[in-house]
Amino acid sequence: MNFRHCLLSLLLFATATATARAQAVIEGRVKLPKTHSTPVMNKRYEIVTAGGVLAPNPPVAVVYLAGAFPKPTNAAVAQIAQKDLMFVPALLPVQVGTKVEFPNLDNAYHNIFSYSPPKRFDLGRYRSDEKPLPAQVFDVPGLVTLRCDIHEHMRGLVLVLETPHFMTTDTDGHFQLTNLPPGQFKLKAWVSSQSTLEIPVDLKTNSVLHVNLP
Amino acid sequence: MKRLLVICCWLVALTVRLDAEDCFDRVNEWLTFTACHDLIRTRVSGLMDLEGYAFTQPAPGLLYTDDNKLFNSRLTLFLDAQLGPHVYAFAQGRVDRGFDPSDSSEQARADEYALRITPWDDGRFNLQVGKFATVVGNWVERHQSWENPFVTAPLPYENTTAIYDAEAPASAQDFVGARTDPKYEYCPVIWGPSYATGASISGRLGKFDYAAEMKNATLSSRPDSWSATQVGFQHPTLSGRLGFRPNEMWNLGVSASDGPYYLAEAQRSLPLGHSLGDYRELVLGQDLSFAWHHFQLWAECYEVRFDVPRVGNADTLAYYLEAKYKFTPQLFGAVRWNQQLFANVPDGLGGAASWGRNLWRIDTALGYRFTAHLQGKVQYSLQCENSGASDFGHLVAAQFTVRF
Repeated sequence: MNFRHCLLSLLLFATATATARAQAVIEGRVKLPKTHSTPVMNKRYEIVTAGGVLAPNPPVAVVYLAGAFPKPTNAAVAQIAQKDLMFVPALLPVQVGTKVEFPNLDNAYHNIFSYSPPKRFDLGRYRSDEKPLPAQVFDVPGLVTLRCDIHEHMRGLVLVLETPHFMTTDTDGHFQLTNLPPGQFKLKAWVSSQSTLEIPVDLKTNSVLHVNLP
Repeated sequence: MKRLLVICCWLVALTVRLDAEDCFDRVNEWLTFTACHDLIRTRVSGLMDLEGYAFTQPAPGLLYTDDNKLFNSRLTLFLDAQLGPHVYAFAQGRVDRGFDPSDSSEQARADEYALRITPWDDGRFNLQVGKFATVVGNWVERHQSWENPFVTAPLPYENTTAIYDAEAPASAQDFVGARTDPKYEYCPVIWGPSYATGASISGRLGKFDYAAEMKNATLSSRPDSWSATQVGFQHPTLSGRLGFRPNEMWNLGVSASDGPYYLAEAQRSLPLGHSLGDYRELVLGQDLSFAWHHFQLWAECYEVRFDVPRVGNADTLAYYLEAKYKFTPQLFGAVRWNQQLFANVPDGLGGAASWGRNLWRIDTALGYRFTAHLQGKVQYSLQCENSGASDFGHLVAAQFTVRF
């Protein structure tokens, strides 16, 4: 690498860093419920069952910036897998218009369906090597509950949002939303179907806002 | 009965509300209990069924009424418990008007309870003890109202034959003659899911699976016999199934069962020098299932032999072919062809006669899942015994099920 290349790389890095800093950041913590979901599998009429227990689902929240944002030009693609007879992840936030694929990573059939008003579908029974991957486009905002017609305990959620600025907290409730535009918005935290917390925020360029919910 | 009906109607009304789905999910979470850092997990769940039947007499299958219509409600509660990674237990209790729909009074029963030990994670071996459904065939896994595309069971599981387990026939003529006792006294070749008491072993080895059980009562035995307090293990029934699953789509199996079918009270009517263990029901079965996307297919065929005192071997063949298709995410349809054929036995007059009426039945059903917790089904069945037009029987049934 010669001197000119080094100089060019340094200039590009400096420009990128300056652009990132021009955007606002919100970080903080959402108070999560203490209870966690521990599914119990119905094995009553399975002649042969494997050992082991289903992994518990610790509570997490989805934090997002609500406001009027332009629609994405390119449709995003996300995945919810069925692995070890569970949805992974159990909660997936997506922007309106996102295509969600449902790969089956188990050695058994699954039959994913939803009767939620924003998206009703039934993918039928499909194998782990199914191609193309069964998928659905989520084009109406709202909460979609996923279930499996074969495994009664399986339950997953897709939270369809109108904003591109969202993330899932960690299991302690910590979050950091980056690359946010300056302006006045509402910061919301979806904790459960019964509870969405919100707080108005005023974002300024190159600022880092600390917010705890509630 | 009225209280149960009111609870059923209230649950149905609650479930059709749009936000009920979320409400039921929360109920589900409330009914799940954990302890010892999630090592012990228990869950209570249930089914609430409201059923109506209208039919031509005699009432078909295992419906018990002299009327030509019947209303039945049923509350089923399940307990599933996972005790660490290797121990699983379950129980089923019911409040209804008898194990099979009838016009008798309300009763509560513990229908199933079992403990299962799975020492290895790969499922190569399971040991189960308790009172639980048979390992024979493939209908058991969809016999509950939520999974069954129909309201009634396939023909082999509900069509009563001339086998009367409380008393041996006095002669061959008596056996092939017209039935005079109430229908409940007679047995089908397999009585529903056959929740008899005993122990089973099962496991999966690659694409093969196996299951074997020793139960206190044979497959044709009535629900009253399934409890170990009613029928002991002096004359156990042995059953087994070998399965082959080449991939997720196909499941093929062969089953066999052998056990004495007479109740203890029949001893006094048996020929001298013979005991209950001498008269057995032998069942050979083949089953098949296929599933692909929104289509499912099941078939079972049973060749059954009853060793009947003073008659000899009474053979019958019963089979069905059942298909289900989901037209939309919530609407499904199903059709089932059933047939049972009876062999001839000596009639006691020097000739031979069939020991039952050959029959076929076609079942059709439409179902709709209003929510993930409420399902409605309607069924129409046309049954024909022998070949005369007057032998046609009709059944219309409707069933609403709330699952929680």
